[in-house]
Amino acid sequence: MTADSLPASSDPRQLLSEVRALARRVRFDQRVTWVALLVLAAVTFVAIPIDWYSLRADCGSASAWVTDVNDGSGCHVRRAGAMFYWPLALLLAYTAIAVYAVRVARSRGLGVRVLPYVITGVALTVLFTVLWLLARLYLAGPAPTQPLPSWLMLLDRLVAPAGAIGVALLVLAWLERHVSLLVFTLGYLAVVLVPINVFWHPDWGYAGILGEFLPPQIVNGAVLLLGAVGFAVARRRHR
Amino acid sequence: MTAASGALDPCAPSAHPVNGLDDVVHQRVRLGILTIAHEARRVEFGYLRTQLELTGGNLSKHLSVLEEAGLIEIEKGYEGRRGRTWITLTAAGSTALADEIGRLKLLIARVETTDTAEGR
Repeated sequence: MTADSLPASSDPRQLLSEVRALARRVRFDQRVTWVALLVLAAVTFVAIPIDWYSLRADCGSASAWVTDVNDGSGCHVRRAGAMFYWPLALLLAYTAIAVYAVRVARSRGLGVRVLPYVITGVALTVLFTVLWLLARLYLAGPAPTQPLPSWLMLLDRLVAPAGAIGVALLVLAWLERHVSLLVFTLGYLAVVLVPINVFWHPDWGYAGILGEFLPPQIVNGAVLLLGAVGFAVARRRHR
Repeated sequence: MTAASGALDPCAPSAHPVNGLDDVVHQRVRLGILTIAHEARRVEFGYLRTQLELTGGNLSKHLSVLEEAGLIEIEKGYEGRRGRTWITLTAAGSTALADEIGRLKLLIARVETTDTAEGR
């Protein structure tokens, strides 16, 4: 690259191409995608034992806290531990990601647009926690005799912590103009919204209730972890 | 990066976009400095020197030109014992960069329009 003044006849296409290449380089150097995914995967995996030990289900029986969930009757499921864990864990995770992004960018000699991501993450966590609580209060009445509509179940999964992580990742992809992260996040959201239960026997874990919750959490955490590994490897190769 | 879209009609017989180019900005290195500062919000001297493949003295000259034009702000400080120089784009710098990108796009559109017309 030279320092000569550009003559008016210099190729504007080449100049624009160079400008775009520089912009891409800066964005690449600012990204901490794999660290963000790793932190979110860790938060998801830590949630599993908390959910396991704090989950309570009321299936209408006076003799046991959980009975015969598979006979077609409805159950009230309470995940008190998760309700306390997720908002705090997500706020800490977003803070950790933001602090790390600032430190890394600074060490590379760059600033970073991290504030919108933090604000979005915190706002989504608060919003989704409120919606989640409202949904739980609404569903605290008599057990429904009919299965809940599929759109309501879809919305429930979207406002749950795993869905909130996905929406925040969409914002991160937009902020970083990161197409690969956008594609990954859409795949992750598909996994979150259409949970996979084929690896779990329907009778395992308190008459199947834990089987309803654990496999999706394991799959969500594994997807985030694989994403972290994938983006880390891609970054190393790109250097 | 975000920049003016060059909303002017490339076919309009108005002043040629070349006439609107700013000599301060329409220079490969200075355009690079503004682009990096725009994307990064804040960029360190060493990063610019590496990315633009310049000597320190050469880069300093370009930074002085941009600073005198009010397009960037230069902040010198220390991190530990190490001196560091940070460059930030001003609002005028952001506008100048957007204008330059817009003009370049307009130039390309003009060239393509002319090529199409001559090909008929």
